[in-house]
Amino acid sequence: MNRQKLEAELSYKFEIENLNAWFGSKQVLKNINMKIKEKAITAIIGPSGCGKTTLIRCLNRMHETVPDAKVTGRVLFNGVDVYGRDIDPVQIRRKIGMIFQKPNPFPMMSIYDNVAIGLKLNGVKDKRKVDSIVEKSLRMVGLWDEVKDELNKSGASLSGGQQQRLCIARALAVEPEVLLMDEPTSALDPISSAKIELLIRELAEDYTIIIVTHNMQQAARVSDYTAFLYLGELIEYGPTRQIFENPKNELTEKYLTGGFG
Amino acid sequence: MTRLIDAGLEQVKNILLRMGNIAHEAISISLKGYIEGLSTYSEVQKISDILIITEEEANDKIFELIARFQPVASDLRLLKSCMKISYSLARYGRYALDISQIYEKIDGLALCEDWIRNHIIEMSEKVLKMIQISVELLNNRDINEARNLSEIEKQVDEMYFKYLDNLMDKPSTVNKCIISSVLVVRYLERIADHATYIGESIFYIVTGEKIILR
Repeated sequence: MNRQKLEAELSYKFEIENLNAWFGSKQVLKNINMKIKEKAITAIIGPSGCGKTTLIRCLNRMHETVPDAKVTGRVLFNGVDVYGRDIDPVQIRRKIGMIFQKPNPFPMMSIYDNVAIGLKLNGVKDKRKVDSIVEKSLRMVGLWDEVKDELNKSGASLSGGQQQRLCIARALAVEPEVLLMDEPTSALDPISSAKIELLIRELAEDYTIIIVTHNMQQAARVSDYTAFLYLGELIEYGPTRQIFENPKNELTEKYLTGGFG
Repeated sequence: MTRLIDAGLEQVKNILLRMGNIAHEAISISLKGYIEGLSTYSEVQKISDILIITEEEANDKIFELIARFQPVASDLRLLKSCMKISYSLARYGRYALDISQIYEKIDGLALCEDWIRNHIIEMSEKVLKMIQISVELLNNRDINEARNLSEIEKQVDEMYFKYLDNLMDKPSTVNKCIISSVLVVRYLERIADHATYIGESIFYIVTGEKIILR
């Protein structure tokens, strides 16, 4: 293999091969094949029920936590199949963090503990190290200056936008390589959403980000690549500019322009 | 399925069609005046002013649609292209005014030899044909017709350069005739360019492919 080809392959964080997923007998993903670039933002768009959320939940093996759920195919993460025999799903989920639609800080925990919990569960006991990572994580999401004097307050006391940034800080604290975001701003007001979008772009300097969104303009604003899913199939995938300006597939065109009847 | 944006897109198309018909009229009047020795400046000026105002109207509508609907894909390509087309249609009006001004400031073809008169009439017919095709493209979006513009544009270009060469070979030609006719053929050549710009825009709307027809 020549060097150029090798480098091109190494720049993919995920290589998804023949991925199928089911809930019971209902197949929700059909033979998905796609490669996801490292340190880029990939948006997954498509109508409700098309399999967007299932796709990202397959990447960190969360799909299998649902009773009756099944997956076939391969998901290579850094070249290693996350569904391999010796792979610990907990370790995979530590490397591939997830942010949900509704901010979900642990309500009984302080702001500090919300961020530190992952570290403590991973056995980090050094208080100074934990302090340092909590501060770094909160700074990364632009929350430090807003909460540094009230770290002991409940995470639930923050506004919706702040709570979502707290959840992102919680995910960052365990030093993941990938952030999966499932409609991370759909429960937020436009100003909070704009802050999260800006944060997503900043985080893409260091992390691979995959975002599921119903908001097509959000996909157009923040992502580098866009994938369009329909009825469990990957219809079109390419650079965001190409998808939004000049989609090649008629279904993509119809979905983007609101032509689905 | 009818979409909310569709009524707005139809409005933009109708504004451009209106501009196209007005622009064709302006150039026809100015060329007829120049060829037959009639003053058309004030009439063409009024039409050119209407085109400038209508271009603004088209752009306002396009901006409104962008702000309200955040168009993407073929809608986005259509609106981007409509902005370029409205500019080209407004330029038709400006060149029509320039041609009618040449008659006012310099002269028409009265003192010119027959070969010059015939050359300009032939070139004018080709350019008017191109304008007509470019306006029809707004409605029919026929990419084969858009490609045909390229062929006529080549002929107009050749006629333009041939004309300059012929003038150089005939030192006896009256100065006034040289100046006015050279300016007119230059404007005709530019109008032909704008007709092909419209063809390129239509091609982009339909196929998403950016091509150069000139």
